[in-house]
Amino acid sequence: MRQLKIALVLLLIGGVLTTAAFVMAFTTAEMQRFGTVTVPEPIDTAFPLQQVTEAGYTYERPWFSQKIFYFHVPVAEASFLVFAVAAFFSIRFLMKRRKEFDTKARLAMETAIVFVMLTMITGILWTRAAWGVWWEWEPRLTTYFIMTLMMIGYFVLRNSIEDEERRATYGAVFGIIAFINAPISFFITRLIPSSHPVVFQSGFATSNLIPFILGQIGMLMVGYAIYAIRASEERLEERVDVLKDALEG
Amino acid sequence: MAEKTTPAVSLRPSGASLSWRQFKAIVRKDIVMELRTKEMVTSMGIYALLTMVIYQVALSQAGTAFDPRDIAAGLLWLAFVFTSMLGLNRSLVHEKDQGCLEALLLSPVDRPVIFFAKAAGNLVFLLIVQTLTIPVFAFLFLQGREYGGDLWMIPLALLGGAIGIAGVGTLLATMSVNTKGKDFVLAVLFVPLMYPLLLAAVSATSAAVLGGDGYVQQFWSSMALVAAYDVIMLGAAFALYEFVIGA
Repeated sequence: MRQLKIALVLLLIGGVLTTAAFVMAFTTAEMQRFGTVTVPEPIDTAFPLQQVTEAGYTYERPWFSQKIFYFHVPVAEASFLVFAVAAFFSIRFLMKRRKEFDTKARLAMETAIVFVMLTMITGILWTRAAWGVWWEWEPRLTTYFIMTLMMIGYFVLRNSIEDEERRATYGAVFGIIAFINAPISFFITRLIPSSHPVVFQSGFATSNLIPFILGQIGMLMVGYAIYAIRASEERLEERVDVLKDALEG
Repeated sequence: MAEKTTPAVSLRPSGASLSWRQFKAIVRKDIVMELRTKEMVTSMGIYALLTMVIYQVALSQAGTAFDPRDIAAGLLWLAFVFTSMLGLNRSLVHEKDQGCLEALLLSPVDRPVIFFAKAAGNLVFLLIVQTLTIPVFAFLFLQGREYGGDLWMIPLALLGGAIGIAGVGTLLATMSVNTKGKDFVLAVLFVPLMYPLLLAAVSATSAAVLGGDGYVQQFWSSMALVAAYDVIMLGAAFALYEFVIGA
């Protein structure tokens, strides 16, 4: 029960932090600029007038879709991290052969898939706004999509095995082998030309960094809370099973 | 054939030569079984041929201006992916249905040897099917087309891809054969895991087919990726096979 209480507290704090990050992203964070825009008449804007030509008045173009960064990136990094936790518990299971590690690996994988879905949704929205397309077969997007498919495959594999020990072993083996793709997906934008932005290479203003860090910490707390709440639910289920057996036996 | 002389000298052969003999015995078993039934190569070959028919349908509206060489590498690898899934599933279903896998596990053979022997057997069948498919594919789709790259590049790219498919596929097929979904589970696990290898292999094969500017460089950088995938994934599959086969 103590874990559940901690989880609920963390969920609350995480919720507050991510909401704060969201609000700060639109209020205090410095507006990112994305090229220039030329309009026929002068407009009232916080951005200084760049130049006046025959074509019109040129202003810096504000980049509103960039705001999703404060949600998309924390969620995406949390997804990689929780996937790593799942792989870690998979390795622990193969080493120790204890059921609890298998349960932990599975719950971590469930949590990871929640974050992966959120990353996908926010990513697709941003892609539409920034690139003008919903989807592009671009290295980061492709490897991340493959990672999603592997996580789905993990659960397909598990659901298709009845024997409990075999299910745990196969799940662990596939979890480990699927995780090989995660660092590839993470580093690929830094290795080969990719249209997916690498924000931390281009430098960062403090007013941008603070909401990002808050969002990241908040998202990790939410992640742990999801995991721990599922774990306590799992324990209750096990107790119900034991009681059922005792009553029937 | 230096291996043949050493075991005769000592009664207890050293670990390496013993493993090598066990490896040869398992591979020979698979090949003898195949020579008797001719099941794997026939089914995989016919499946590949049927894929070609479907390609014809898929390309039938493309017109004459369209150059099939542009997508030839992709089509070839698509055929190999599907036939190899069929073959991998078969190869392990045989082992399981006839109780052969249990007998192998009872025999004092190291688990890694079983893995490499099964993977080698699958590799042999895959290579045979590739060798049969390529001329048919060229005959059906690439007649009268000019060939861009060097001829030796294609077999090299095919071999690199086949090694990865056989290695990872053997691990996954050993798992999927013990599930309710069997071939469906194999597909769900196999395709995403194969993705990087397929991408690199298609790129290498395409460079070899098309030629053009910088094709040698494209070929070798793709082959480096194929080799890296083979090494990493075979290493992982080798390390994890023991857990899979024991469960």
